[in-house]
Amino acid sequence: MAIPRIGVFICHCGTNIGGVVNVPEVVEYAKGLPYVVHAEANLYTCSEEGISSIKNNIKEHNLNRVVVASCTPRTHQPLFRNACADAGLNPYLFEFVNIREHCSWIHMQNRREATEKAKELVKMGVAKARWLEAQEEFESEVYPAAMVIGGGVAGMSAALNLANQGFEVHLVEKEPELGGRLLNLNRLFPINKAPDELVESIVKAVESHSKIKLHMPAVVKAASGYIGNFDVSIDEDGQETSFKVGVIIVATGAQVLKPELYRYGKLANVLTHLDLEQRLKDGELGEFQNVVMINCVGARIPERPYCSRLCCMTAIKNAALMKEINPEAKVYVLHRDLMTYGVEFEEYYRKAKEAGVRFIRYTPSKPPKVVGTKKVKSVKVYDELMDMEVELPCDLLVLATPLIPNDDNEELSRMLKVPIGDGGFFLEAHVKLRPVEFATDGIYVAGTCRWPADIRESVAQGYAAASEAAIPLRQGLVKVEAITATVDPRICKGCGTCVLVCPFDAIELKESKIRGLEGKIVAEVNAALCKGCGLCAAACPNRAIQQRGFTDVQLLSMVNALSGKR
Amino acid sequence: MKLPDTKEVQTEFKPKILAFCCNWCAYAGADLAGVSRFQMPTNVRVIRVMCSGRVPPELVIRALANGLDGVMILGCHPGECHYSEGNYLTRRRAHVLKRLLSYIGIEPDRFQLRWVSAAEGAKFSAVVKEAADKITALGPNRWGDKR
Amino acid sequence: MKATSEEVKTSVKKLFEDGSIGHFIGYEMGSDSLRVTPCFLKSGQAASRLVWNPLCANNLSKYLLDFGKVEGKVGIMVKGCDSRSVVELLKEHQIDRDKVFIVGVPCSGIVDREKLLAVLGVSPGEVVAVEDDGDAFLVTIKEGTRRVKKEQVLRGECLVCRYPTPVIYDMLIGEAVSSLPWVGDDYSSVKELEALSSEEKERYWSSELSRCIRCYACRNICPVCTCVECIFDKKAPRWLSKASDVSENLVYHLVRAFHVAGRCVDCGECERACPMHIPLRSLNKKVEKDILELFGYTAGIDVEQQPPLTTYQAGDLDEFL
Repeated sequence: MAIPRIGVFICHCGTNIGGVVNVPEVVEYAKGLPYVVHAEANLYTCSEEGISSIKNNIKEHNLNRVVVASCTPRTHQPLFRNACADAGLNPYLFEFVNIREHCSWIHMQNRREATEKAKELVKMGVAKARWLEAQEEFESEVYPAAMVIGGGVAGMSAALNLANQGFEVHLVEKEPELGGRLLNLNRLFPINKAPDELVESIVKAVESHSKIKLHMPAVVKAASGYIGNFDVSIDEDGQETSFKVGVIIVATGAQVLKPELYRYGKLANVLTHLDLEQRLKDGELGEFQNVVMINCVGARIPERPYCSRLCCMTAIKNAALMKEINPEAKVYVLHRDLMTYGVEFEEYYRKAKEAGVRFIRYTPSKPPKVVGTKKVKSVKVYDELMDMEVELPCDLLVLATPLIPNDDNEELSRMLKVPIGDGGFFLEAHVKLRPVEFATDGIYVAGTCRWPADIRESVAQGYAAASEAAIPLRQGLVKVEAITATVDPRICKGCGTCVLVCPFDAIELKESKIRGLEGKIVAEVNAALCKGCGLCAAACPNRAIQQRGFTDVQLLSMVNALSGKR
Repeated sequence: MKLPDTKEVQTEFKPKILAFCCNWCAYAGADLAGVSRFQMPTNVRVIRVMCSGRVPPELVIRALANGLDGVMILGCHPGECHYSEGNYLTRRRAHVLKRLLSYIGIEPDRFQLRWVSAAEGAKFSAVVKEAADKITALGPNRWGDKR
Repeated sequence: MKATSEEVKTSVKKLFEDGSIGHFIGYEMGSDSLRVTPCFLKSGQAASRLVWNPLCANNLSKYLLDFGKVEGKVGIMVKGCDSRSVVELLKEHQIDRDKVFIVGVPCSGIVDREKLLAVLGVSPGEVVAVEDDGDAFLVTIKEGTRRVKKEQVLRGECLVCRYPTPVIYDMLIGEAVSSLPWVGDDYSSVKELEALSSEEKERYWSSELSRCIRCYACRNICPVCTCVECIFDKKAPRWLSKASDVSENLVYHLVRAFHVAGRCVDCGECERACPMHIPLRSLNKKVEKDILELFGYTAGIDVEQQPPLTTYQAGDLDEFL
C-alpha cells in the first residue's frame, strides 16, 4: 500500500453546517491528523466549485484518499465517489463524514461542543480512510422486465410507460378489475368530468398492450433477489406463478378511512364522500335539501396527524355538485383549514362560493355536533367568526375522511425489505432528492401508497417511477457496490461459521485451488449472491473473511481514533 | 443572581458514547432526526455499518476497554432487517455480551442494543438522550485504560 | 465395572492388531506418580505404556488436529468432557469422523493435584498411586493408604460435570456412569459473582486479571481454539496492544470467552494450564449459563445441532426495545 496522502474537504453547506460548527477550526484540526496532506473548507462541497476543487487537489497534492465532511452518504456518496473517479482515483478511496444531519443540525444550541464533535468525526473518518483500499465493482446483468404492483392509475401509468419503452411488464392487481380508487369516483376535480372516459382509455391501453402481462386478481407471495435480478412468486386466482424481473414498482394505493365519528354507519343519512360519489354514480342519492359536509374527520388528530390533501378539494367538488343538482339546496362545508393551493384549485373554490356553497370554520376543540336519533336532523357548530353556536338543518351529512395506508403494506414491506414511515405509508429514499425510489436499489414507489396524492400527481409519480426504473433496464448491467465479503484462504480454517450465518447462501466450503493451498477446505464467496451485510465478517472467529469497505482494521481504527488511541 | 461555579462546570462529566448504526434503518433514522432538527446531547458519535450484524463483540469490548463510556448498536426492528435476519443474530450476540460485560462489572446501560427504523427520527433522538442521561448518571467507565 | 489400565492396554493393542487404527493418542505416567502425560502410539506393542486413572486430566482431542494427514484411523481416548470437544471439532469440520476411532472411558472425576497435596500435606514425590473408590480416592503414600473424599480434591469442572460418560465413541471401556452424586447446582459460583455490585465485580476481576502475563497458555491448550491465525497474533489490525495492563488483559479474556461462547465444553484445560491461577472457567461458565438460559443450548452434545450464535428464533428474548 502506498503511503496514504489524505485530502479533507469540509463543507459549510451555506450556514447549515457553518452556522453552527466552526468550520475553519475543524480544517485546521484536520491538517494535523495523520497522513492528511491537504485540508480545506468549501461553501458547498457538492457544488461545481467544490467538486472541481476535489478533482484539482487530487492532482495537485497527489492525494490517494479523499474525505468529505458534509451531509449524509445516503444521498451524496455517489457524487463524491464519481468526482474521485473523474480525477483518476478509485472511488472506493473516498470516505464520508456526516457533520450536518449528525452534528450541526442536532446541536444548534451548542456550537462549541458541535465543533468538538465535528473534529472527532473527521478524525474517525480520516482514521478509516487511511485503511481504505481500491475496489473493483462487480457487474451483474439486469433481467429486462419489470413488475408493477397495483393496477390503479399510478400503477397503470407506470406499466404503460415502461411497456411503451419496450420493456416487458408484469402488472399485478389484487382486485378482479383495473382502475383502483378511480372506479369509485363520480367526478374528478377540477375538470368536473366523470372518470369513466379516463379509466376506459387507460385500462384499454393496458389490457391490449402486448408487452404488459396482466395478473388479476393476484397478490405477491414472495420476492427475493436484488436489482436486476428479482425472483417473484404470486398467487394468481389460486394458482402459484413465478417470474423474474429486474425492477419493481410499488403502486398499491391506499384506502379511505371509515370513521367512527358523527354516528357514521349508525344513522342512514351520514355518508363519506366516497359513499356519496358511489350513490351519485349509481343514481341512488335521492332527494336532499340541506347538506352539511364536515372536513378533517379523523385527520389531523393526535393518532393520525397528517393532512390527507385531497379532501378539501373533494368536498368543494361535491358541495358545488349538490348546488348544481339542486340549486335550491343549502350546502354548508364545515372545515378547519381549507387547502386549495395553486391557480386552478383556488379558482375552483371561488366558483363554489359563487354558486352558493357556504363555508364555516370550526375549531377542533369545539367540533360539530350531530342532532337526531334515527336520522341526522341538524348539525350544531360553533362558528368562530360569529363567536356563537349555529344550528344547521341537515338531511344529508357528508364526511371528508382521509386516505389511510392499506392493511397489507406491512407484509409487502417485509417481503421487499423496503421501509414504512410514519402512519404506515411507504417511505421513499429521500423526501426531496429521491422521491420515487426506495433506499433499496431497483425498487420504486408511486401514488397513494406513499402519501395521499390526487390523480394528476399519481400519474406523474407513475411516470417518474417508470423512468427511474427504466435506467437499469436500459443499461442492462448494474454495478454492485464493492462491499461484498472476501476470504483469505490462507487463514480460513473451513469451520463453516460464515456459511451458517449468511442469509443469502452466498458462501460455500470448497477445496482451495490456490497454489500452495490445494485441497484445503476453505470458504468461498459468490460475489453475485453476496449483498454486503457483513454478518460473516463479524462471526468469523479468526477474521479470515472480511467485508470490503467495512474491514476490521477500518472499523477498529475508527473506534481507536474516537477513544484517543492510535 | 449567583453565577455557576466555573470549576464545577469544567469538571462536569460528559460521557463519550459510540453508536454503530445500520445503514438502512438506524443511520437513516439518525439522518431524519437531523433533517427534523431534533436537538439532542452531543455525546454520541456514529459509525455507519451496513447491518447491525456487522458489529462484532470484539469492537464493543475494545471500545469499552479504551475508555469509551458507552457503546450502542442501533439496528432495524426485528423482522425488518434489510438483510432479513442480521438483527436477529445481533440480538442473540448482544444478549450474551451484555450479560458477560455485566459479570465483570460493566453496568448493563453502558452497552445497549436498540431498534430504530428509518422513519423514527424522534426515537433516535430519544435513544440518544436516554443513553446520555443514563451513562452520565453512571459516571466514567472504570475499565478504561486500567493499569 | 470401572475401566482399568489393563483393559485399556488390551483393547488398544487389539485395535492395532485388527487394523482398526494406525495411531493412538492416550495417557502414560509422567515425571512423578501424580502426573500423567499424553502419549502417541504407532503400534500395538507400545500399548503397554498406556494408563487410565484419576490423574488423566488432559483433554487429548486437540491433538487430533495434528493427525489430519496420516494414513489410517487415529484412535483417541476420551472422557465425557473430552468427547464433547470432539463433537465441537466435528461440528466445525476440523476433523473427519471417518478418520478417528473414539475410545470412550466413563469418568468419575479427576484429581486436582494441588488440592490433593494440600489436603494430604505431602510433597508429590511421596505419593505412590491414586485409585478411584466411589465417592473417594484411595491415595497410596509411603506411610500407607489414605481415603480422601472426592469433593475435597476434585478438579473444579468435575464438581459440576453432567456428562461423565462420553457422548460419542466407537468403543466404550467400562460401564457408563449416568450421573455423579456430588453434582448439584452447576452455576452456584457464577450466581455468587452475579449477585455482587458492579464495583465489587470490577474490583474482583481487576485483581484476578491483573495477574495475567498473556502467555496464551489458556488459548493454546483450548480444544476449541482452532484458528489458523488467532486475532491476537495479527499485526493488522492489532486488537491488543503489547502493554500488559488490566484493560488489555480484559479485552483478551472477554474476547476469548466470547469466541468460545456456545462451543466451550468446560473441560477445564484453560484453568489447568494457567500459571497465574486466574479463574478462567468462571467467565466461560457465565457464558455457558446464559446461553443455556437464553437459547436452551448446551455445547458438545450433538454434531447436527446448529451453534446458538449462528442462528435465531424470531421469538427470542427482546429486552432492548
